[in-house]
Amino acid sequence: MTLSATPPPEVIAQTENTMVLSMGPQHPSTHGVLQIVLEIDSENVVKADPEIGYLHTGIEKSAEGLFWTQAQTVIERMDYLAPSSNALCYALAVEKLLGITDRIPERAQTIRVLIGELTRIASHCVWLGTHGIDLGAISVFFYCFDLRENILDLQEAAGGARMHPNYVRVGGLNGDLPEGYLARLDALIEKIPGRMRELRGLLQANPIFQDRTIDIGVLTPEEAVQWSVTGPSLRASGLAYDVRKAFPYCGYQTYDFEIPTRTEGDAYARFLVRLDEMDQSIRLIEQTRQRLDTPGPVMIDDPKVALPPKETIALSMEALIHHFKLISEGFRVPPGDVYQSVESPRGELAYYIVSNGENKPYRIRTRPPSMYNLQALKGIAPGNLIADLVVMIGSLDPVFGEVDR
Amino acid sequence: MPSTQVPPIAGAAIDPPSLRPPIDDAVIERVVPSELRSRLEALKAGGYAMLLDLGAVDYLGRTPRFDVVYHLLRLAAKVATVAEIGTPARVRILCGVDEGQSLPTVSDVWKAADWAEREVYDLFGIRFDGHPDLRRIQMPHDWVGHPLRKDYPMRGPALERAPRPAFANKTNVVAGSPPSGRTLEALQEQVKRVREGGP
Amino acid sequence: MTVSPGQFMLARLDDVARWAQSSSVWPLTMGLACCAIEMMTVTSSEYDIARLGSEVFRSSPRQADLMIVSGRVAQKMGPVIKRLYDQMAEPKWVISMGACASSGGIFDNYAIIQGVDTIIPVDVYVPGCPPTPDGLLYAVNLIQQQIREGGRGGILARA
Repeated sequence: MTLSATPPPEVIAQTENTMVLSMGPQHPSTHGVLQIVLEIDSENVVKADPEIGYLHTGIEKSAEGLFWTQAQTVIERMDYLAPSSNALCYALAVEKLLGITDRIPERAQTIRVLIGELTRIASHCVWLGTHGIDLGAISVFFYCFDLRENILDLQEAAGGARMHPNYVRVGGLNGDLPEGYLARLDALIEKIPGRMRELRGLLQANPIFQDRTIDIGVLTPEEAVQWSVTGPSLRASGLAYDVRKAFPYCGYQTYDFEIPTRTEGDAYARFLVRLDEMDQSIRLIEQTRQRLDTPGPVMIDDPKVALPPKETIALSMEALIHHFKLISEGFRVPPGDVYQSVESPRGELAYYIVSNGENKPYRIRTRPPSMYNLQALKGIAPGNLIADLVVMIGSLDPVFGEVDR
Repeated sequence: MPSTQVPPIAGAAIDPPSLRPPIDDAVIERVVPSELRSRLEALKAGGYAMLLDLGAVDYLGRTPRFDVVYHLLRLAAKVATVAEIGTPARVRILCGVDEGQSLPTVSDVWKAADWAEREVYDLFGIRFDGHPDLRRIQMPHDWVGHPLRKDYPMRGPALERAPRPAFANKTNVVAGSPPSGRTLEALQEQVKRVREGGP
Repeated sequence: MTVSPGQFMLARLDDVARWAQSSSVWPLTMGLACCAIEMMTVTSSEYDIARLGSEVFRSSPRQADLMIVSGRVAQKMGPVIKRLYDQMAEPKWVISMGACASSGGIFDNYAIIQGVDTIIPVDVYVPGCPPTPDGLLYAVNLIQQQIREGGRGGILARA
């Protein structure tokens, strides 16, 4: 086992004025396992070559050996800050291949939106906390993670686990919301605006934070589109491209929300866009809450895809057989390919899924938003200080489970 | 039950993209490698300014063996509101590549293709002519083989599975010794309670 | 001067040293994947690992004595972890947090090292995917117990 070599001289080279330095892969501020090979001239970055792959898990290959429902467990661990958005994108894609998209129950769609927006707030909490810590604002971390605990409590109540609940499934959801969930959701909805005010108050008008983030890492709209940057980083450069509005899914076209944008394109703009997005998520959560008062099914009523209710196994032969087949063999998905995208907290997360008619995925190609966002670092890093590099990585918000897969 | 033990179902499709159901996710076009670059440049000039994704699929048993898939989005690279963007058009370009054949790079057309092409090279072995820096990106630099190919074993070549080093066979706990600390008392308490018919 | 009982404290130097050592175990920031997020959560106010003495997470292996391998270890990362472990000064302990670090977890494939104990010695394994922060706190408690009761690496450990 040898350490990976440094990039070839055409990429990064030490000259008489510059030094080659490796930042990472173990570093407090790289948000995960990232190695940036820097060519620096004292504190100024001349060239930056991020080196990824330190978390390559072979998720796409693993998924090819698992059933369609089992593959979701490995898929969820890609973007580990927003696991439900991975699961949602996957479920939507497989539902399209199965042809059951319009038979997913209404309540399931509503809860999917709720879970998606709660996940967005939780993910932005981690982003803000770690971004603050990188810049020395350590209190922000505690406030953010406290808010995140409330959301993870709800996620655990609904899905069974704090992270990676595997709650969103192909065909709907794993089960309905438990008793008492709506009351807790109401309590959270009441508490969140105060929390958001606190978070804004901590950093938004802080002169040190502004000094460190304004005019740092500016992405012009042309540059952003060239690097395929999506998500809040793109919206901070002025393009209001959000998959929830452009290619609506789960009924997002029936909700009333806005897409915040800025035009400066610097790290401060990305910060403001994400905070505004959290406010919009709260608005969406309130709207889903109103729709959740009416009960209904949360899983498609199709025994070829979804497990029949457990109570019927002892009474119905068909239910027993379907249970047996679905668990031992899984359902089969007709051959074809599909490209399904969702708006994850990082940008446009998409899966290009190919099925050859079997009970296992043939190929799951992920369009990882963090990888394309991180690549933009090569363009915006040169000419800045090393300390600014930390700000830029934080403002692009990469998650390495997704970058490396 | 591990699904790798379930044999594949006979009669699996060899060329799934040609059998797809009517899903309206993108306009699909198939090109051959010689016209790939001109087609992509024409699309970019026609307004498809964003390369959404560049990936590959291995259809072992089909000729050509690989499909390199480009997804493009018709998005103008300027400030725009939600209403101006609307629902942009998406295009999927499928390019069949055979073993040993290489494709022209598009990393000068879209900068985002840089790492994506490196990843396709690393995991599938498809080379891209003209790429400024085509080296492995996910696997270690001295890795042999292209893991996402269908004939690459799931668990990797046998040599890579490192044998357990000597210290992994020794532990702090001597086999048969009682649990340390207060655990022993707690366990004995519990056993006593159960024997006395407690809760 | 009269001295009454209770005004002297006698203890073995060994025990005092171990008590001091176990009360200030400083972890290394070795966050790899999802378990790293739960490790960060354990430093937050709800779970608060600082009350166990792990007040700071050191970024430099030279200053840390506990390496919490939190997350899946990829082939590229294996040598890095081995080098970091070698750079840590004795005495040092390792917690293998989560299923992936303990045994490869759900990823039984070419890309993941099937258990970090194939490259470095591990003291405590924490199951879970990811383990709840309480699980990690319990693991740190077990490390403290091992230090106090003379496990491998105590400050005056016998060889």
